[in-house]
Amino acid sequence: MVTREIDRSAAKAPGRAWMLALGAWAVPGLGHLAQRKWARGLLLGGVVWVMFFTGLALGGHLFRISGNDQGFSALLQLLPMSANFGAGLLYIFCWLTNTGFVEQAQRVTYEYGNTFLLVAGLLNYLAMLDAFDIAAGRKQ
Amino acid sequence: MRHVLWMALFASLTAVVFGVVAKGSDRQRLIYGLKVFAEFIVIAFILGWILYFLPLH
Repeated sequence: MVTREIDRSAAKAPGRAWMLALGAWAVPGLGHLAQRKWARGLLLGGVVWVMFFTGLALGGHLFRISGNDQGFSALLQLLPMSANFGAGLLYIFCWLTNTGFVEQAQRVTYEYGNTFLLVAGLLNYLAMLDAFDIAAGRKQ
Repeated sequence: MRHVLWMALFASLTAVVFGVVAKGSDRQRLIYGLKVFAEFIVIAFILGWILYFLPLH
């Protein structure tokens, strides 16, 4: 009886954990804040938001696969695009409003901006996995 | 000088995330975060000096 209840609660956790992970991806920090992990949520979310907007301010650009890219060129865009995509709705908002996709290679801080944008997405993937682990009970 | 500041900002933000998601006590995670930050800065300076002496121009 007790074992069944534990099994049932363990089976319930992944569904909620997946939803929280989706929320954590969509809005950086939300996955932790929804679990009342205030300090973690503010730190992780804050870092991703700051990195993303600093990247844009430094003249970095976001990657996407456009119609002009074909064959190997399209593949080369895929990896950085998947890194940028980690920023969740921030990336989707920029994609919808066509913000941050123009290359500004003439700016001195252009490469810094690119790196900030790429790493913001990658760090949000880490935060998302952390939120999932906490929700699934694998981590405190 | 500005490049170093951007690099330090990048290192500090990344170290915060690494420290927060790491396992262990608060103190262990704080030390880990500081270690990551220091590693970023030290390695960047070493690579910077190596590139300085390479005849790339």
